[in-house]
Amino acid sequence: MMCSANEVMTLAAKAALGGGAPPAQASAFGRAALCHLIAGRSDKALMDALGALPDGPILSLPLAFLALTEGTGSESGSGSGTGTRATGSMPETDLTLSYAEAQPFATSAVPQAGMITVQMTLSEPAQIPPVARVQIAQPLADQMTALVAKRLVPESDASRLSGAGAGLTDND
Amino acid sequence: MKDDVIPPQTDLRSPPQVMRLARMGAMFPTRLSFLRSLMRRLAAENVTVTRPVWQMSEDGFGHAVYSLDLGGHVYSLVAVSTDLPPELRTDRVIATAWDSAYVLYDGVPDQEEIARITAAAPKQEAARFTERDLILSRANKSVRLFAHVVEALRAGRQPDRDMIRDVGYLMRTTAVYGNGKFGIADRNLIDSRTGLEGPFAAEMLTVWLIRHFTHDLVEHTGKGRLDPQLKRHLGIGNSTGLGMAPFLVNHPVLLNNWMLVRETALARVRAIDRLEGAQQDRLHQLAARAATHLAEWNVPDPAHQARIDALRGDWDRVRARFDFGVQRPLDHAMTSIQHASFDVQELTAAMFIEPFGDLVDGLADCMGDPFGGFCPPVGKLQALRDLIETQFTWALTPDYDAPENCGQFWYVSEAKQEPRLGLRFEEDGAALESPLDIGRRIKALHVALLSEQGSLAEFLAAHPEHALAVSRVQMGARYPYAEIQDNLIATSCLPIDMLRCKLSFFGASKFDPKSDRWTRITLCQGAPLAGDLRDNADDWWLPVFQP
Repeated sequence: MMCSANEVMTLAAKAALGGGAPPAQASAFGRAALCHLIAGRSDKALMDALGALPDGPILSLPLAFLALTEGTGSESGSGSGTGTRATGSMPETDLTLSYAEAQPFATSAVPQAGMITVQMTLSEPAQIPPVARVQIAQPLADQMTALVAKRLVPESDASRLSGAGAGLTDND
Repeated sequence: MKDDVIPPQTDLRSPPQVMRLARMGAMFPTRLSFLRSLMRRLAAENVTVTRPVWQMSEDGFGHAVYSLDLGGHVYSLVAVSTDLPPELRTDRVIATAWDSAYVLYDGVPDQEEIARITAAAPKQEAARFTERDLILSRANKSVRLFAHVVEALRAGRQPDRDMIRDVGYLMRTTAVYGNGKFGIADRNLIDSRTGLEGPFAAEMLTVWLIRHFTHDLVEHTGKGRLDPQLKRHLGIGNSTGLGMAPFLVNHPVLLNNWMLVRETALARVRAIDRLEGAQQDRLHQLAARAATHLAEWNVPDPAHQARIDALRGDWDRVRARFDFGVQRPLDHAMTSIQHASFDVQELTAAMFIEPFGDLVDGLADCMGDPFGGFCPPVGKLQALRDLIETQFTWALTPDYDAPENCGQFWYVSEAKQEPRLGLRFEEDGAALESPLDIGRRIKALHVALLSEQGSLAEFLAAHPEHALAVSRVQMGARYPYAEIQDNLIATSCLPIDMLRCKLSFFGASKFDPKSDRWTRITLCQGAPLAGDLRDNADDWWLPVFQP
């Protein structure tokens, strides 16, 4: 399925929310999932991460990067922050690379010998580069869509009338 | 700010003063509103609109293509007009068919692309689109006015002027989708292009072209020409519901930049030391125009009409006392009305900005969010606590366990996957609440922080549910106007205030609330027609009927 980048990012974030991730971690996963698919990395890493909710990398990876900015390290790595710069290393996985690329700060991530060396410039914003289309495989899209559905509230007669605020007459 | 020399300014009105729903719900469009900025750009670029395709039946059903060149790129509006059975016509988001459907296309579509779009656009959300499709929209006729204008033109006369004045549009859009929805282009694919850099610029361009199409369609169907003055007063209507409300909460940096720019503009004009006689005359003229606009603003809802009536009286009293001959006249006037209604204060603020484009127009370049919510981490827990206690007292005040302070909850409906607002103690679904309860979350974070030491990462490892509140508090240090400083789940929260704030930035006028959750508005009323861009393209703040 060919999608816009925003569709992929939104779908992934909502899926994480549906799987039980808190909102901020779900948003971070949305950005990381987009970077992941743009880079052509494995769907399995995303599916496994969603399957591991409400625990797993969707909760732990944001903490690992946050720890680097604080210079405190984390269970999965170590690092040092020096005000506007943060450096550190953490075990290499496809998803770790994707989270590095999704950081809102200028970030470099260099894999070497099973570890990733991360450098972040905290004073320098970074954006995910524009892409015209993103391919998302059907099994992954299906898994995400099913998780999104967990957060949807079925309509009732009362909510149909009042939830969106529309009355019965809206023509002239 | 991009200005080479930054003009002097007074202190800004503070976020606790400005970022309250009641005041945001009283906002008026300004010359910094997106439609106004777009019109100035179109005029500056000498844009010409062409109509390379017009395949329309005598009754006005078929398709058309409009093209223009802006900043070196050609954009085309593909418009599809459909014969819609009356029983299917509804402005609600649950609709599945509309009188007309639109795509703003990147380039000039060939026959194959036109065929694709004319097949897909009427299906709206049920279809898929491509990266060449920049904006997707649809509109329904104001049946009463459209039919009347057609009948009048066919009879060889102009339509009833009172009806034109009172309705103000031939069609109203019920959705204008951008930024990747349903497969259309992501905004970041086009936001560096000249003319489309500003927020919602592509959407506003689409709306303006749709208005142009509605004029052509009614003239084609009526087989006559509308008086240009009447035509200029015919804007494009819009029905907007709750779907728009969470945008302001979910895009805090954009909200900050919009409000900061508007407040900076106001602070700049308040710092003007003396006004020339012509400038004073201009302000009095605008005040009189505003009075006429208010007199022409009539809505069916009794409560809102009463509010407009009160504003008419207040405005006449306030403007009679404006003395622009004193030192710092605009600062003096704003201070003199600080105890007036929010409606008066915000109307005055919008009016004071209007004549001073040379001081404020450059600020419009600062209304986007080119860095995607960039915010350096605050880091220490104590710093977070301090930020909350200095900048988020509004969030700490309510007792969120009290029923009146948590009586509503935001959610996403299964039927259309659109935002909704429910009553917590009367409806199911609160367990699936959307995280728009920013104030409650920040207070919970503050409570949790009181007993914590160590790093933020350690804190969030133990309390992952507080990560959203942490991010919002961190933003507070850099973006002071990012948060609506009200409890958005209180029983008293009125989403219509959020809608009006956002729509005023679009350039909307004639707010016509149908409930506290959806409203009709008019866009582009008084805006230049395609052929008028070279003449007087920028003087249409609070338009009045001038045939």
